[in-house]
Amino acid sequence: MELERVSKSYGNHLVLKNINLDFPRGKVTVLVGPSGSGKSTILRSLNLLETPESGKYLFDDLIIDFTKGPNKKELAYVRQKTGMVFQSYNLFPHFSVLGNIIEGPTQVLKLDKKTAIENAKKILKKIGLESKINNYPEELSGGQAQRVAIARSLAMNPEYILLDEPTSALDPELELEVLQILLQLARDGQSMVIVTHNMSFAQQVADKIVFVEDGDIIYDGEPEPFFKNNKNLRITKFLSSMVLK
Amino acid sequence: MWEIISKALPQILEAGFKYTVPLTLISFFFGIILALFTALIRLTKKNGFFLIIKLFFRFYVWLFRSTPLLVQLFIVYFGLPYLKIKGIAPDGIKLDAFIAGVITFSLNTGAYASETIRAAISSVPRGQWEAAFSIGMTRKQTLKRIILPQALRVSVPPLANSFISLVKDTSLAASITIVEMFEVSQQIAAENYQPLLMYSLVAAVYAVFCTILSWGQGKLESRLGVKSNMKGSDN
Repeated sequence: MELERVSKSYGNHLVLKNINLDFPRGKVTVLVGPSGSGKSTILRSLNLLETPESGKYLFDDLIIDFTKGPNKKELAYVRQKTGMVFQSYNLFPHFSVLGNIIEGPTQVLKLDKKTAIENAKKILKKIGLESKINNYPEELSGGQAQRVAIARSLAMNPEYILLDEPTSALDPELELEVLQILLQLARDGQSMVIVTHNMSFAQQVADKIVFVEDGDIIYDGEPEPFFKNNKNLRITKFLSSMVLK
Repeated sequence: MWEIISKALPQILEAGFKYTVPLTLISFFFGIILALFTALIRLTKKNGFFLIIKLFFRFYVWLFRSTPLLVQLFIVYFGLPYLKIKGIAPDGIKLDAFIAGVITFSLNTGAYASETIRAAISSVPRGQWEAAFSIGMTRKQTLKRIILPQALRVSVPPLANSFISLVKDTSLAASITIVEMFEVSQQIAAENYQPLLMYSLVAAVYAVFCTILSWGQGKLESRLGVKSNMKGSDN
């Protein structure tokens, strides 16, 4: 999965400035940076919830030219291959936990209901929420809701899971249960792209760190040199502000 | 007094079940379909030809919300016979009173209910669209499976209000010769010179009809989980 010379603006404000990024398969790429730097726009562009004005998006054999925009086929392909997890969970409130998880497989992948339910049960077991299968989103804690959102994404068997600040709406104790799931997925070799402000989690989970500031990629590489002895003033300033937080 | 009531009540109820109830149900059914269609057209972001269609539906909603229902009934029933269209209706458009009633009430309900449905769809958080899109659902699937079920729950109370209002509004159909409950009560009052009793009796019948509908509304709301939550739509 790769972005090539991608630019995006909201009105007069340029949020992505001709960026180039690749997202290795089987690895965890973590996007960090100050609020409003363009991290979420990058993530949303990967799921085509945002369409940048220019640049290319390379996915498997597909090359999407953003100047033309994706066609229906490309849109469907990319969205099936990239699961998105939102900061505010966005579970479907009128469906139970099971209903939320099987909605994509039954409606999009056209899987038969029985198989979809069996798969959903396996995923729920993996994330420790089998007992909540018939509960509704409003009956779940924030941590449980986010785990269900991850399960909903996993049920589509995506190549990549994109997570937009998955724990920033959670209390620290609820945050932990979500982070543990994500660490488990990372150990299992699930490709992920994560936007987070939690630096210790980023350090723990990342195979690759991307530091974004004002729509520019300031750092794109290994986590260790990013977190230790970094000479870049903007990065050290950002990291110390995170420590203070 | 009881003798007059016992004689008049069956006639009023008969007119109610023969005209008021069918007129209300049929008009509401078509009105809701029209409302849903209008709301969806008005919410579409497509431009070009759609812009003209959107403007047309906007005009329709404005027209029917800005003019009295009685006037609309008169235009459709008494006015359209004078609308002579070469080739299509050279002698004017003459409609049966009941059909004219159904058309007018459906159009009127459609205009008001479309705004309710439009607001209900708009009230569903953007995140719900995005969550559905993100798992690969199309716009049509998202609307049908995710947005409309949630919008329905929001729109049930105001739509039920429109339905109850429609029951009472059908009394205006008396003015275009439909022999519904109010018309029958007028005819009986003209015969027995008991207008107070007859109009009070028909008012009581309307009140009973509306109370039953309000009860039904409450049942529907609790079934759909309108008040407390969004439960209960798995299938």
